[in-house]
Amino acid sequence: MRPFRVLVVDDESALRLTVAANLELEGLEVVEAASGEEALALAVAQPFDLVLTDVRMPGMSGVELYRRLREARSDVPVVLMTAFALEALIEQAVQEGAFAVLPKPFDVQDVLPVLIRAMRRPLVLVIDDQALLAETAAAALAASGVRAAAVTDAASALRVVGEGNVDVCVVDLVMPDVSGAELVARIRAADPTIACIAMSGHDVPEMMRRVAASGAFTVLQKPVPISALQRVIAAARARPARGQRPG
Amino acid sequence: MTTRETNMPTTTEAVGARADTIFHGHQDAIYRRVDKLFVVLMLVQWAFAIGLALVFSPYGWAGKVKATHLHVYAAVLLGGAITSLPLLLAWRRPGSVATRHVIACAQMLWSALLIHLSGGRIETHFHVFGSLAFLAFYRDWKVLVPATLVVALDHLVRQIYWPESVYGVTNPEWWRFLEHAFWVAFEDVVLVLACLRGVAELRTISQRQAQVEQLERDKSVALDEALVDLKRSHEARLRSEKLAAVGQLAASVGHELRNPLTAVRNANTYISRRLNDPKTAGAGAAAADPKVLQFVGLIDRELTACTKIIGDLLDFARERPPDLQPCPLRPLIDEAVALLPAHRARVRNEVPEALPVPSLDKDQFRQILINLLQNAVEAARPDREGEVVVTAEGGGDGRPWRLCVADDGAGIPPEVVDKIFEPLFTTKIKGTGLGLAVVANVVRLHGGTIHVDSRPGEGTRVVIELPLAAGQQAA
Repeated sequence: MRPFRVLVVDDESALRLTVAANLELEGLEVVEAASGEEALALAVAQPFDLVLTDVRMPGMSGVELYRRLREARSDVPVVLMTAFALEALIEQAVQEGAFAVLPKPFDVQDVLPVLIRAMRRPLVLVIDDQALLAETAAAALAASGVRAAAVTDAASALRVVGEGNVDVCVVDLVMPDVSGAELVARIRAADPTIACIAMSGHDVPEMMRRVAASGAFTVLQKPVPISALQRVIAAARARPARGQRPG
Repeated sequence: MTTRETNMPTTTEAVGARADTIFHGHQDAIYRRVDKLFVVLMLVQWAFAIGLALVFSPYGWAGKVKATHLHVYAAVLLGGAITSLPLLLAWRRPGSVATRHVIACAQMLWSALLIHLSGGRIETHFHVFGSLAFLAFYRDWKVLVPATLVVALDHLVRQIYWPESVYGVTNPEWWRFLEHAFWVAFEDVVLVLACLRGVAELRTISQRQAQVEQLERDKSVALDEALVDLKRSHEARLRSEKLAAVGQLAASVGHELRNPLTAVRNANTYISRRLNDPKTAGAGAAAADPKVLQFVGLIDRELTACTKIIGDLLDFARERPPDLQPCPLRPLIDEAVALLPAHRARVRNEVPEALPVPSLDKDQFRQILINLLQNAVEAARPDREGEVVVTAEGGGDGRPWRLCVADDGAGIPPEVVDKIFEPLFTTKIKGTGLGLAVVANVVRLHGGTIHVDSRPGEGTRVVIELPLAAGQQAA
């Protein structure tokens, strides 16, 4: 199997060099670009499994690069790096399907799982007993560039999870055959790297507490706008490996 | 408002007390003024009496044995006697009760003397009414009492013992005295009423004046309170603006630090993994990897960058007064040029060796020269090598120093040229926006001024002008 190819884009050479060196040490093949323009030319000409790009650069920004890649019909996953916590640009990129946003400063070793996950192009699995709701949500996510699938019962959900390419589950808490908390626990048992986003149509604090205790990444109350769901998915995907360094 | 209401009784009392003070002040002024009036009046009467004695008395007393010179003596001596005590009191105790009562009696004695000197002419009796009217100027009806008593006593005694002296005839009707007394009493009533009315008016005026004063004071106090409020809210606004600026500054600096910190952290991770990798174990093998050495250097550079960012922040936050020392400019510029990071421009130091030496804070000035030169070399256009020229002049013959840093770079767009000295303003992708803010602060602390003249596409000139006593007055 050929090694993963990653394109690292940052105008700060020191940052670019050190991130690239660590990725190479992990056995990845790394190509560096010092600007958005250079990265776009490279990504159109060569195949890449991942683009890891800074947001703020002179000339073409990382978000602009992401858009131009989509326009060029490239479906390469893009992970953004930023020193600025609240930036409208980043929010837009997430709405348009950017895989995750990494806040600086980070250690490549800590965020490596995020990058590996991105390169596998994982699925978001929407689990809701009401087929219409499940399929609409999955379709809306897919339309904005997030790979997604929909299932309507716990058994199907666990079967898809068993295939090994799901990294986020959006779970409806009110299912006919199994309680939300139990479903979350079973999914986490099948694959502990999966992030579960639980949703409830009612204000049920006790159930929410149980679901959170069973390992859900977060619990949301319906109705959840698709943009909010995307924000939470991106945040779930950007979460570093366990044992993150403090500070 | 509540406070003001609870203060009401106190305020009314205060106004009353103030009105009393004003009233007594006015009264005292009137007493003193009228005292003076009588001093003049008595001196005039004395002179008039002597004249009267010399000219008129012989005729008034025609056919009698009285000799002219006797009247003259009477005028001089009696007039003097009558006048002397009031004069003395008006001089030593002006405005006092005793003074005006003595004056009242003396004035009536003057009437008596003048009536006598004019041979008891009925016309001279009008002097009595005139005198009472004058006394009413005091607006103190009590002075009319001794005056009236003196007139009555004089008339009574002289009617009995020497009627010619007072009525001009030897055998006046027995009720003549009563007739005179009636008219005097009549005038007294009128004058007492006038005095009372006058005093009442004086009181009203004083009361109003006190009220106006109180109103003015209230207004002033309210105005002062408003000004204090204004000052407080102004200070609060400044404080919150400063807090907001500090927050922005912290955010900006925090963001700036994240890039070098990410690089340092990853360089460090790489090196430690290389050192601990069992396959390439050992420092020797790690040292063979050129990246390890490269990253050690990189860590050093990035930490320097962090230090610079923190330094900028501290320079800006901690505005210390300049420590002035004589400092030649040319070598200082050489030092600053040597400290510039790698760049694509040529810097020419054309400051004359013989330039008079200004007094500067060397560290602060080196820092601002670095900031200015760094901007100048970074402005170099991509299509050619930039040229930065530093010149200086002045410092002698009473002329200020003018230090100029000129580049031939991209220039500053006119729409941002007004903002370049504001803290946190930056057009650089990586920049805290503090460099020129620090420059402006340091120049200001040295008592100087800074001007920027920029033409987009042609270059920028920054001119710092330092006064002759550079910075001496700044601390």
